[in-house]
Amino acid sequence: MAEKFDLFKDISDSADAAVNYVGQKHPENLWMFDIQKVYWNEVHNAKALGKKLIYMGACVPMELLYAFDCTPMLLDMLPTRLCTTPELAAKYIDIAEEHVAASMCGIDKVDLGTVLSGDIPEKPDAFIYSTVPCDSSRVAYPAIDKHLGVPSYCMDIPYRKDETGYKYIADQNKEIITFLEDLTGTKLNMDKLKEVMEISDKTMILMKKIADLRKNHPCPLPGALLFLNQLIPAMAGHPEMLKCMEAQYAVAKHIVDHKMGAVKKENFRVLWLQNMLWCNLSALHYMEKTYGAIVVMEAFGYQETDLFNGSTDIDEICYISAKKALALPMIHGSSGPVEDYLHLVDDAMEAYDIDVAMYVGHVGCKHCWAAEKILKDMVQDKYGVPMMSLDVDAVDIRYKNNDEMVAVFKDFFDTLIENKKE
Amino acid sequence: MSNEEKLIKRSNINNASIDAWKQEGKKIIGTICCHVPEEIIHAAGALPVRLRATGCTEDSSAEVWMSAFSCSFARSCLEFLMDGTYDYMDGLVGSDGCLMAGRIYDNWRYAGKDKIEGKDYYLQQMGVPRMLKDTTLPFYQRELEDMKKGLEAFTGNEITEEKLQASVDLYNETRSLIRDLYELRKSDNPVITGEESLRMTMAAMTMPKEEYNTLMKGFLEEAKTKEPIKNKRARLMIIGSALDDPEYIKVIEDQGGLVVTDATCYGSRYLWEPVEVDDTGVMASLTKSYLSRPTCPRMTNLHDELHDFILKAVEDYKVDGVIYIRMKYCEIWGGESVFFEDKFKAANIPMITLEREEIMTSSGQLAVRAGAFIEMIEGGEK
Repeated sequence: MAEKFDLFKDISDSADAAVNYVGQKHPENLWMFDIQKVYWNEVHNAKALGKKLIYMGACVPMELLYAFDCTPMLLDMLPTRLCTTPELAAKYIDIAEEHVAASMCGIDKVDLGTVLSGDIPEKPDAFIYSTVPCDSSRVAYPAIDKHLGVPSYCMDIPYRKDETGYKYIADQNKEIITFLEDLTGTKLNMDKLKEVMEISDKTMILMKKIADLRKNHPCPLPGALLFLNQLIPAMAGHPEMLKCMEAQYAVAKHIVDHKMGAVKKENFRVLWLQNMLWCNLSALHYMEKTYGAIVVMEAFGYQETDLFNGSTDIDEICYISAKKALALPMIHGSSGPVEDYLHLVDDAMEAYDIDVAMYVGHVGCKHCWAAEKILKDMVQDKYGVPMMSLDVDAVDIRYKNNDEMVAVFKDFFDTLIENKKE
Repeated sequence: MSNEEKLIKRSNINNASIDAWKQEGKKIIGTICCHVPEEIIHAAGALPVRLRATGCTEDSSAEVWMSAFSCSFARSCLEFLMDGTYDYMDGLVGSDGCLMAGRIYDNWRYAGKDKIEGKDYYLQQMGVPRMLKDTTLPFYQRELEDMKKGLEAFTGNEITEEKLQASVDLYNETRSLIRDLYELRKSDNPVITGEESLRMTMAAMTMPKEEYNTLMKGFLEEAKTKEPIKNKRARLMIIGSALDDPEYIKVIEDQGGLVVTDATCYGSRYLWEPVEVDDTGVMASLTKSYLSRPTCPRMTNLHDELHDFILKAVEDYKVDGVIYIRMKYCEIWGGESVFFEDKFKAANIPMITLEREEIMTSSGQLAVRAGAFIEMIEGGEK
């Protein structure tokens, strides 16, 4: 009899295989793959190692979970990982569409589809999630919660990003501590939390330093690495995340010090305004290789976040975690007041000497699309920078494939080159 | 003119009551979604008007702002703001019912700059919790207090506890009258159609409640002698996304169905459960009432309450089949089926799912599907 498919094992095994391959062919790049191996190995082995596996949504304070020695699994890591195997992502999307509207965000459809599919043999020990980032997740997460039937906690994330909003989340962070104490049967270990917070702070500082290095002309790192940094909210406080950022910083610093860049000749400095194109990173390589167009920054990754700074006061820690939650660009930048999103883009335009803006918008992010004109007007009026818009599905390549995307990029950059000549 | 005719006429977004209100120099405040308590606006001496897009036939200007990927209901509301339909409004209070609702407010501030900037125009966006729990009630109350203060400053009218209580009493009377209206529909041969009922609840959204209550009382008297509707082949209930288009229901009813009840935010979910003022005060009571009523699946932990309301209505109104309407790109209602499909199957309720756009361009297709559903019910198929 065929062995039952185990999704976590499959992803974990493929991460192992990638590390083996890269280790032989490009050992200098191993740090990009090691982090994924560690993440998925831990998720797959959590139960065997006697750790509590906790599914998570956005805004949940990761540092608390690590302090309780739990293994977190950010649900949105599944679609961003699975979309590189299109038939697998498609399978889960199709399962979800048997129950929800097809227009629902593909990310949430994969989340829901994986859980409903039965391809994850064991249930997690708990599910902690929140009411952001979007209307699709507000369907998917509670539906997953209902389906799993494990202990759960849902945070309500406010629309407003101010003292009232921070305090509102901080109060719920305290409830999460109580929830985790009940779940694990242990009290919060402050020494462990301090250690985790220190790693988290160091990671965040490095992220900012790397972001600053990307301001250089030419930009030292390719656009695809911005997407790797998406792991940070999922692993803040994990030593391997810090290691990954240290390696990335060292590479960026080396390249800047030697006055080199990620591409031979940097012709266009691109700001990426919307979701990451997880299903087709090769489109970015095409832009870099063919046009010297490099994504120097993306609006959803451009963030400066508060640090714990060695705090031992639990009220203050919960408050800082709240501020960090509301600083997540994808979360509040896009789903709060439009000005939050606008300011993220404005700041990045200002800081990175951008000459091209690309709104390659995920069709699932309807609320972002409903802000696209406001962004475009600002980018064009304030900076005189052209902005292209293209609808894609960030995790489902069936919506628009590589050839279709590349054809649009080609037209866009060819036009820019023609205009430059004129 | 009968009270019914007067009510139907006042279901238009622009109507005689609006004109009269403006002629008195009084203010009108638009509201977005179900969690802006109109009582507070009323207590400030202004007329609340719930934003909708009934009869919208063109939304291309709004599409430029909100894109083709947006919910067409939200887009059409923005269109009506932009094209002058709502020029009588002196302000807008939004709530983040869903992300599309939030973007109506956002885009209006940019697209409507000429009509807003430099004018005496009130703007406020409320953040409404998406959960009912101990932590969320004080937060929501604070949002309502902010709204109260803002409206006091804007209108120059202090909202006293007494005024607020009087508004709650008035609105509770409206709620009671709307429930009476729905009570008529429980009859084996009701005297009003679903189309007419929707027009009557929508009239409450575009006229002073004092006047509405008088007209509705008059209509309820008239209804006693009204000819019952006969020869309808199936009693239907509509659930789903915002439905502010009586013509949509008419197409269904023209196929031989009779819509006897609904769970939609322009129908029964607008004003239904009374606000019970307890010793915590009027504002705290409003807070509890508005956050706890099962109005829209946006509330992540009130799905069961909403389903209970629907299932009870199916029983009370002797519903033969449920029409589940998903507005295209309305993810909140679009995904609700994942929560109720098992319950509805267990209750053996025939159901059809229809996707809708605000601008009705496919009435023929709707008629065919509604007709087939009614035939299926008649044939006893599940």
